[in-house]
Amino acid sequence: MSGFTAIAQRIGWVLVAIVTVAFLFWTPGRDVPDDGKTHIRYWYIVGAQDDVPYHARRFNEVQDSIFVDATPIPWNEHERKILTAVLSGDPPDVVSQFVPVVKWASRLALEPLDRFIEASDLDTTDFFPALWNEMGWQGRTFALPINSTSYALFYNKALFREAGLDPERPPQTWDEVIAAAERLSERGENGRLTRVGFVPDYGNLPTTQLMAWQQDADFLSPDGRTVRLDTPAMRQSLQWIADFYAAYGVDNLKAFTSGLGSADQHGFMSGRIGMAVLDLSYLEQLARYAPDIEYGVAPIPTFPGRPTASSAGSWWLAVPRGARHPEAAFAFMRFAVQKRIQLEEVAATDEDLFPANRFAATDSSFLTSPEMEVFARQMTVAHSPTVVPLAHDVFWREFFGAQERVIYGLQTPSEALQQGEAVVQDALDRASSYDAYVRANVSLDGEEG
Amino acid sequence: MRQVWERLKTNRGREATAGYLFLSPWLIGFFVFGLYPMVMSLYYSLCRFDVLRVPQFIGLENYETLLTADPYFGISVWNTLVYTVLRVPFAITGSLLLAVLVNQSVRGVKWFRTAYFLPSIITGVVLSVIWLWLFNPSVGLVNEVLGWFGIAGPLWLQSPDWSKPALVLMGLWSIGGARMIVFLAALQGIPDHLYEAVEIDGGGAWAKFRHVTLPMLSPVIFLWTVLEVIFSFQVFTEAYVMTQGGPLNSTLFYNLYLYYKAFDDFEMGYASAMAWILLVITLVVTVIQFRLGKRWVHYEGGV
Repeated sequence: MSGFTAIAQRIGWVLVAIVTVAFLFWTPGRDVPDDGKTHIRYWYIVGAQDDVPYHARRFNEVQDSIFVDATPIPWNEHERKILTAVLSGDPPDVVSQFVPVVKWASRLALEPLDRFIEASDLDTTDFFPALWNEMGWQGRTFALPINSTSYALFYNKALFREAGLDPERPPQTWDEVIAAAERLSERGENGRLTRVGFVPDYGNLPTTQLMAWQQDADFLSPDGRTVRLDTPAMRQSLQWIADFYAAYGVDNLKAFTSGLGSADQHGFMSGRIGMAVLDLSYLEQLARYAPDIEYGVAPIPTFPGRPTASSAGSWWLAVPRGARHPEAAFAFMRFAVQKRIQLEEVAATDEDLFPANRFAATDSSFLTSPEMEVFARQMTVAHSPTVVPLAHDVFWREFFGAQERVIYGLQTPSEALQQGEAVVQDALDRASSYDAYVRANVSLDGEEG
Repeated sequence: MRQVWERLKTNRGREATAGYLFLSPWLIGFFVFGLYPMVMSLYYSLCRFDVLRVPQFIGLENYETLLTADPYFGISVWNTLVYTVLRVPFAITGSLLLAVLVNQSVRGVKWFRTAYFLPSIITGVVLSVIWLWLFNPSVGLVNEVLGWFGIAGPLWLQSPDWSKPALVLMGLWSIGGARMIVFLAALQGIPDHLYEAVEIDGGGAWAKFRHVTLPMLSPVIFLWTVLEVIFSFQVFTEAYVMTQGGPLNSTLFYNLYLYYKAFDDFEMGYASAMAWILLVITLVVTVIQFRLGKRWVHYEGGV
């Protein structure tokens, strides 16, 4: 072998070694301009909005010390993206989310915000209590609520009139719902339903969930260790829905709802469903797809003598654990949730946002119609959908699983609820034991004392 | 160290090094993305673990809970078995008959082969969305066609009794796919003199099929049976996209339940245990198939 080849070979080896080592230690760099500002990264979810959210644009305009670099992440991938970002140790500084805060907070994926809140002028009573209560876990706060939505009963006034019902008097109790639904429903050939007054599972909030809250169903013992599904309130709710399905025929109702679609094929918009519990965004959708429909918005029906109820899930902003600029991130979050910015944001987007700041949501510039006032009142009776924090998904799977077994007549409400209760309890026991283990063995970042 | 270096400098050492270097992309990939995750999942199956927090070692508890206490484990195993038992014979006979059909020498047979093959190139999610609409009880094409014959179609995916058969029927779509092509290739490899022998003995079309085609195809049929059983055990996409496990958990297949445990509930340890149990089940079933296969599979060279 000639000397030249040997040298060439050596050089080749060195190159291979360099490339290998470079690959092992290479991390994608970020171009942060040296402009004296603190650059923070903000991941927001692209759903209906593809623009950079108003609060981020505005924040960059009004001050010079922090720059928010906003990145859209796809709707269906957000949880996994944030998960891997936290695991990588280099997460964004702010994320927006809408799944229960506890799901992330309990897994130590979020930075506690208490020290920032204490040092700031933020008054946490500015938020709707139901939304604010979702933000904490084990005595600490992990997120700020930004936008929510609110729910109400939509009913088709023209159909009411046609059926001989008073279009100015929507049903207020569940019994009135049954009666009105029967009058509004129509059957075609071979008894097939062509129009239905009300379908318990159709719309944005399932009826049994509302009924449970309206009867103060207590799903978890005060110490958070024992799940209770088989309660009188739940038994009554499941019996109600089973009776409703039985009156129309389970298969008949299922076949009917399967033929409904979205947009102008939506059951309520196409006039095939007379009443439905829908969210705020339907005002805009109705204006777009069914401008001629004559509808009313009313409080969600309840049981006689019981207050109505609604659900309080919200979008929230939080700082992932390991973020580089938590302080700057909090300053941005604090900016976004103030009344003035929330009102400007509502005005600037064509989405129907419901501000988490209750002073924004009760401002006269927001309450522009009687419908909006109904939505605002519903938010004051909203309940937290995070019922069993450590077994959230299991709980709701079992809740609706039990309901389905009762609807199909396989089990009595009590049997179905007991079966579900056992499964949730099992999952909760496992999660609690894991939680206790982690707390005993890992010192938490930012833990005081 | 010096000795290693000396050995590397010999010709054989050089060749070996070069060999391993050329293998290294695959080797690194196998160790980093294959073996390491497998070993770790075995370890995690003995833990409570949610990816974000440290694993808590709990021994065999996950396996114990799964096999003795979890009602959905039994349901998902049952659903998967029923689906497999319905689907595998349907898929194999369907493709085999289609292969025999497009093996005829008629005009335009190449066109038919392409036409039958084409649907199978559509991928899982798209296919699921298409069938979601075909099976729609009130506006779907399937019930529409049944209606022409005066049959009131079932609710299909919305019915606990019809949801699994509906998912099996979906397999019709890919009946002309890779399976049919392999059967076709095998059919064309059968020597004509075997058929002539049957003719000489006075056998008809059925005798040819029964005594020549089937035995000659048996190795391929066996291969596809083993594969289809494994594929069926892993059924996921259709149920995830179309039914989410419902109604009444009638389409809660094993992998779908595993997915819910892992990615909704973040119980990665539990899900890992499920994955290992599925591996054991698949292994046992495959070994049984190989044992039984000896009785009916006819290998040309082995006689």
